[in-house]
Formats: sequence, structure tokens, C-alpha cells
Amino acid sequence: MAAGLAGCDNNPHPRPLHQKRADGQPWVVGYRAIGEDPRSLDPQFSYDTLGNAIIGQLYESLLQYSPFKTNPYELEPCLADGMPRRIENADGSVDYEIRIKKGIYFHNDPCFPGGKGRELKSSDFVYTFQRIADPAVECPVLSTLQEFIRGLGEAYQEARKAGAFDYSKPTGALTVEDDYSFRLHLLKPYPQIQFWLAMAFTTPVPREAVEFYNGKNGREQFKFHPVGTGPYRLDEWARGRLIRLARHERYSATRFPEGGWPETVAATCQPLAGAALPLVDEVQFQVIREAIPAWLLFRQGYLDRSGVGKDVFNSVITAGQTLSEAFKKRGVQLFKDVGPGTFYSQLNMDDPLLGQNQKLRQALSTVYNQTKANEVFGNGIDIKAEQLLPPGVVGFEPDFKNPFRTENVEQARKLIAEAGYPDGINPQTGKPLEITLDVVAGNAESRQRAEFDQMQYEQLGVRIKINENTWSRFQETQLRGLFQMNSGSGWNADYPDPENFFFLFYSKNVPPQGSNYTRFHNEEFDQLFERMATLDNGPERLSVIQRMNAILVEQCPVILTFYPVSFTLSQPWAPRITDNAMLVTGKYTVIYPELREHKIREWNRTPLWPIALLVVGGVAVAVYAVRRARRSIL
Amino acid sequence: MLNYFIRRLLYMVPILLGVMFITFALFNIFATPHEMALQNLGPKASQQAVDNWLHNRGYVDEQGRPYPLFINLEKDKAWYDSLFMRSMKRFATFDLGTSFATGEPVAQMIKRGAIPSLCITFPAFVVGLFMAIGASLLLVFVKDSPLDRWGTVLCVAGMSIPITVYVIFGQWITANVFNYFPAFGFNLEGFSTLRFIALPVTIMILSGLGGDVRMYRAIFLEEVRSDYIRTAQAKGASHARVLLVHMFKNGAIAVITLVVAALPFLIMGTLVVESFFGIPGLGNLMTTAIAQKDFGVIQADVWLGSLLYLFGLLLTDLCYAAADPRIRLQ
Repeated sequence: MAAGLAGCDNNPHPRPLHQKRADGQPWVVGYRAIGEDPRSLDPQFSYDTLGNAIIGQLYESLLQYSPFKTNPYELEPCLADGMPRRIENADGSVDYEIRIKKGIYFHNDPCFPGGKGRELKSSDFVYTFQRIADPAVECPVLSTLQEFIRGLGEAYQEARKAGAFDYSKPTGALTVEDDYSFRLHLLKPYPQIQFWLAMAFTTPVPREAVEFYNGKNGREQFKFHPVGTGPYRLDEWARGRLIRLARHERYSATRFPEGGWPETVAATCQPLAGAALPLVDEVQFQVIREAIPAWLLFRQGYLDRSGVGKDVFNSVITAGQTLSEAFKKRGVQLFKDVGPGTFYSQLNMDDPLLGQNQKLRQALSTVYNQTKANEVFGNGIDIKAEQLLPPGVVGFEPDFKNPFRTENVEQARKLIAEAGYPDGINPQTGKPLEITLDVVAGNAESRQRAEFDQMQYEQLGVRIKINENTWSRFQETQLRGLFQMNSGSGWNADYPDPENFFFLFYSKNVPPQGSNYTRFHNEEFDQLFERMATLDNGPERLSVIQRMNAILVEQCPVILTFYPVSFTLSQPWAPRITDNAMLVTGKYTVIYPELREHKIREWNRTPLWPIALLVVGGVAVAVYAVRRARRSIL
Repeated sequence: MLNYFIRRLLYMVPILLGVMFITFALFNIFATPHEMALQNLGPKASQQAVDNWLHNRGYVDEQGRPYPLFINLEKDKAWYDSLFMRSMKRFATFDLGTSFATGEPVAQMIKRGAIPSLCITFPAFVVGLFMAIGASLLLVFVKDSPLDRWGTVLCVAGMSIPITVYVIFGQWITANVFNYFPAFGFNLEGFSTLRFIALPVTIMILSGLGGDVRMYRAIFLEEVRSDYIRTAQAKGASHARVLLVHMFKNGAIAVITLVVAALPFLIMGTLVVESFFGIPGLGNLMTTAIAQKDFGVIQADVWLGSLLYLFGLLLTDLCYAAADPRIRLQ
């Protein structure tokens, strides 16, 4: 303890790499927390939020989400020199002509001759798409991409048979035109490919790095030693403790936007217009598994951002969902973000009871009170879902009211009577209709949720039998269709396009082919899906989307529950300039280090009286013990 | 003695096999290979990606048929050609395999985590031991006094509080209210490491002190009532000499056996403390592996833990025999 007190400093962070930039300006450091180490930083493999949060700083893609356009989301060029140009071929296939910017360099790394990162070329994209098809890379989206991109599926199968991928053989997915332009060949029209070009899976990786970092001769594996073109390079990865990123010295792909920012952040953005990126020189991600220490560090000022955990929710957020006075005084800002995702309960359309009875499904959907569920379980912050598409996705209608999500018990009772089960009674047996609800029962809260759901549906007079599953078993019931009705499912957008939601109800995606777990089959919906998937955004596509939405509302294969909402707190020195949930890069992050230093000093004073008290107490016990011991008789 | 040693070593084999069998069986019941694949590939991964993952890790063959878990009943195949026996074969040669989550060799991960774990467990153990012995001797010294009674009450209270409470309270008070220590973090940069280990070590000592003091006090009190103590007193030896020389020597035999049994576990770290303080040790490795359903790491960790446990027991028996000549091994 004495040794610790000698340090007399509660700063948990290692020293920054530098104090000043080359131009004499202060070296700016960002401090963030992550719950665990990413499993892999290989962009062709990683498919989890955590991995992508780091990968998004190290690698960049041809396209990126425009930081200030979120309703709807929009793409803009990043590594690409302009948006890809679509060319429709006579045989029905489609090519995209893509030009890449000149002067984009990979991070400096020993895998390159002389340790200097080389320039990005078209051939790097050829290699990247080969990696997607390589079974050893285990790219989790290959099955989707091979449906649309030429040659990927065949290359994968060949490699599986041969036992290794032949990188000398082109896949046919791309044709290089010159060092800075290439063509991407699609088997059929697929406008959503542009979203894939903004995802980490298609981000270029240098072949030198993959081959050099092979886990042999004391070298790390490539997934632990990323080398990309992103605004940051990996400086240090101390497993279980810290990931330290430092600015990519030769980063030039993008600059701070010249305009287009919302009024609310204009004062922050105006002076930065056209500035070189990234704005922060170093980012330290502390690996913090538990919520309590992460919250302590945020309170002390040692983290720039924080979520609002359940334990501290009431002390931070008021009943009106605003920031509490104590945190307002600190200058902390509160942000409420609606994630591009939708949650729902699924009804199995292959089930002889639910699948055949549309009115029954409508009754179940109508009676479920999500408003109450939000209050009981989600502190009232989630938004009730009325349509499958969440806010921000093309086709979302803010004023849409779902006639079967009214939460009106009387209306629901009428519907169940029309379904042939007045008061929920099966006329054939005279007993209440019994429906089995599959849930994941991992903890007390999930059981409480299941009981809440049961209570909601039983307002119809039916009897709900809860079937508790492990997560694994729940997945299996979905895959094999072994459920009647389940709750707690949802979909977070891979990309903000209706195709990424509607495909969940496309009949060709019934497992094992895809994720149509409800086994929904509707010919009109299928035809519209195929049409919608190939149309560009515009009035025609919008009307198709609206019709598809109407079919889902009418058919009720799912009971829509909520759009997830999260609160984020930002320290006064780290104003947030964009709420774009699809944008993972931190290159636009703004931090004022002087203000942070001042606040940390103010918030972290060390009193000496507890030490004095401890010393006096110890001495008193010792004196007493010695005096008493003199009289001791063994 | 040698016979005894060899016999004890042979006893270890079925125990180890049993532990590994139970771990393997439990994990495969509660987390199927399919779930492990989804955990690592992401819940949206396609069936093709899942099949490929399972194939690359030997769970399914080329045709996608699952590999037998314990006994191979297929014709033309040896009965022991199963996943369990394969992994046991590996462990028998001390090949700890690779992490399912990251593909990193587990031996490398364990090597990396051992030092941070020892950074907190070793000082906590040594300082805690001295403090516990010191405090228990003090209580024996002042036995039947209010200090003794209150000390015992404090010990019982201390051992009744779960370690999580010590951690949360300690973090909040000393790191957040008084701001003496970092509430979280770790580094291995010489003297500054002390800043990070001071609080977790203090918490580990305090959380274990109550139980240890009570136990050692009981051991020493037992000795105090012995005839040889009365004889020593009758001969005019001082209280301090009687306690610190005559009694301590004899009482220490029991203490040594307890200490030796605990020694091998120091390397395995602590689950709660490491997790809450961000110490990247073996305890943290295990909690992360459990959360990630990383069976590769869990299996290796259980193997290592079982080995160390059995090694600790063996060492205890040997030390006991060596320290107390009255004990004869049959």
C-alpha cells in the first residue's frame, strides 16, 4: 500500500507515444474501453462488432458512410476515386468499374522492403477477393457474396477439394485494367454490392503482410498483426490489457468534410473543414471486462466515452430521459442512438396452427404491449417497432401505424374470435388454445421477460407454455423449425438497405440456405423481393418496399417489438460530431486535451486524512497489544 | 519413500482422466460445436461458414459428418479414434493446442499470463502469510483479552464477506473517492507496476486474512495448551520466547502443509480480482475463455489446474513427512 501511495497517481493509462506532434502541436490521445480482446483483426474474417470497431481504424474500404447523412444513410468514396460506375452487360451480368485514388499507402511495416508501406494498387483488391474465397480464411459472408460475384464459389470449392487455395489462379471476380482501376464482375444485378464495398470484408490487405505474418519463426499471425491503409496503424496489442493505435503517418484517403454538418455541431466542425485526418494522434483501447471499473474510469475522466449501464442508469438519466444535474454540471453530454436494427418474436409459418391462421397471428401481434415491456425491462428507452425496417433505412416511414400493433386488447379479442377461437377457447376441445413459446433462459431477467410475454398473450384467453432453451438449443430450434413461436429474435443491419431485412422472409432463404427462420412463404413477396433487390433507389423501388412492408404487416410472420436504443455519454473534451451508427472509423473524433487535463485534476484530488487515520489506528492497536501482552498468562 | 512417490504419481492418472472426461462431456453438452462456431464466426455466419469452421477444427469430416466424441463405432476405425482421445493424446505430450477463438497456441497464452498472475498472487500470498501468522500470534499473545475477542469477531466478519464485495468497495473507496490508486489497469514497467498491483494485492490479502488468522490462531492455541509450553514457562522462559521459539516451531508444521498445498495455485491467478482490475493473467484468460466458449483454452487450463492441484497434494504429503519425523509412510 505504501508503495502504491508513493506513486500517488490514479491514472491507469500507459504514457502516450509522444508529447508533441512534429509540428509542435500537442499529441492528442483518445481513451476508449472495449469489453474484451478482438478475436481477430483480419478484415476478411471478423464479423463481430468489437473486431470491426478496431478494424475500422486500421483498414479502409473503397466506400464509406457519409458521416453526416443518416436519414437515410448514404455512401461516399473512400479509397475509390469516385463512386463505382455500373455497366450492364448484354448477358444480364453487371460489372462495376472502380477507380482507386493514387497515393494511398499501406502502413509502414517490416513486411515491406525497407519497412516502408507501399502504394495501394488494383492487384491488392484481386488478392482480397481471393482471400474471401479461401476456405482457410473462413470468411463468414462468402456464401452471400458467391451468389453475386463471379468465380468466388468455384474458387472455394476447388480449394476445398485441393486442400489449399491456389493464389496464382485468378478467381474471375475482378479484372485489373491498370494499377488504379479494375472491374468487379457480378453474375446478376445487385445494387447492394455498393454496401459490401463499404464493409471490412472487401477492404484491401497487402499480400506481403499475410505471407510474412504466418505465425512461424516467432512471427505473429496476420490476424494479430494487421497492416492496412486506414488512418491508424497498430502500435501495440498487449492481450487482455491494451490496444494502442497510432496515426498512419502517410494517411491521405480522406479529409474532414468541407460542409454538410448539422447545425448542432457547426461550431465544432467549422474550424476543422478540410483538415487532415485523423484528428486524434493516438487511440488507446483499454480492455475492461467488467462494467464497474469502466464506469469508475469514466467518472474519473480517464475514458472519453461510456455507455450507461443498468447499475448506474438511475443516477445518470432522469425520468424524462435527460442527463441528471450532477453530470450536466460536469459538462458531460448525453446522446440517444437508435441502432439500425429491429427486434421481434417469430411465428413458425410451418406450424399447423399458427401458420394456417392469419387472424390468430394478427391477434397475438395486436395484444402484445411493447410500451409496457419497454418500461419494465428497458428503462423505457427502446422505441416500439411498427414496421420491419428501422429508422435510417430506405423505406422506413416515420408516421406509419401498424394496425396489428395497437396493443388494444379488445381489438385483439375480436381478431381471435374471428380466427375461430373466441376468448382463446378451442371449440373442438372446449379448453384454452395452447401455444408453446420458445425462449432463451440464460438468467433471471430472461425468465422474467418470458413470464411477461406469457402474461401478454394470455390476455386473449389462450394458454402459453414456456419452453426454456439454452442459446445453443434455441438456435437449433430456429434452424430446424422446431418451434411454434419464439421471442427475443432480431436483426441488426449489415448495411442499411431494405434488402438486408426483407431477405429474412424470402422463401429461398429458409434454413439451411438462409435465415428465414419463420419459414415465411409468399409468392408475391418473393417476386417483389427479387425485383426490389435489383432496383436502384427511387420512387419505383419505394413503392415495391411499401408493398412488401404491407404484406408483412398483414401476414404477421413476426410480432414486431422494438428498435434498440442506446445512450452514450461523452466527456466535455470529446464532443461527438456524428451519430452515424454505420460509421466505425474514429478519424473524425475531436478531443480537446487541455480541457481534459484540467478536468482530470479537478475530479481526482487525493485527501491525506484517511492515511493519517490508518497510521493512528495501527499505532493504537500496537500500543494496546504490547501493554496487554505484558500481563498475558499463557 | 520412493515407492510411495511412484504410487502417488500413478494415482494421478485416473484422476486426471476423470477431470478431463467430465470437462469434455460438460462442455460438449452445454456448448455444441455448432454453437462454438457461431460464437466465433458471429451469429449471422452462414451454414457454409459454420461447416468450414467445424471441418478446419476436426469436428466434422470431409462429408460434413460429425466426428465421434468419445468412442468410434465405425467399421475399419479404431475405437479410440475420437475427439476426446485425440485431445488426451495431445495433453499427454503436453501439447496444449490452440485457442478456438483466436487460433493462438494456448501454451503461448499461458506463458504470457503467468507473470501478471504471479505479480499479484505471489506478493499477496507471501505478505498475506506473514500478516496472518503475525496477527494470529498477536491474538494468541493477548488471548482472552477484548482485543482477542474483537479480533476474532473481525476475522469471522472478514471471512464472511465475498471477495467481490472487497473488490467493488476497495475500487470505489481507494481508487475513486480517495484517488490513491488506478481503479483498473496493469503494466510491467518496473516500479510503476506497483501502482497497479497495490490495490488488488491489498484486497487479496484482506479478503483472505480473516480465515487465515482464525485458522492459524486455532493451530497455535492448540500448541499453547501443550505440556511442553507449560514446562518451558515453568523453567522461566519469557512469553515471547515461549511463543516465538517453542510454540511457533511446532505449530509451523501444520502451517507449512497448508502453504505448500497452495503454492502451485499461485500461477493460476485469480478469476475475480484479475477480471475486475484488468490484470492480464491466467484467471482473466480463463474468464475470457468461458465467456467466449473457447474450449481450446478451457480444456488446457483445466488440464494445467488439475496437474497443479495433484502436484500440490503430493508436495504437501512429502513435506509433511519430511517436517514431522513422527509420520511414517506406509
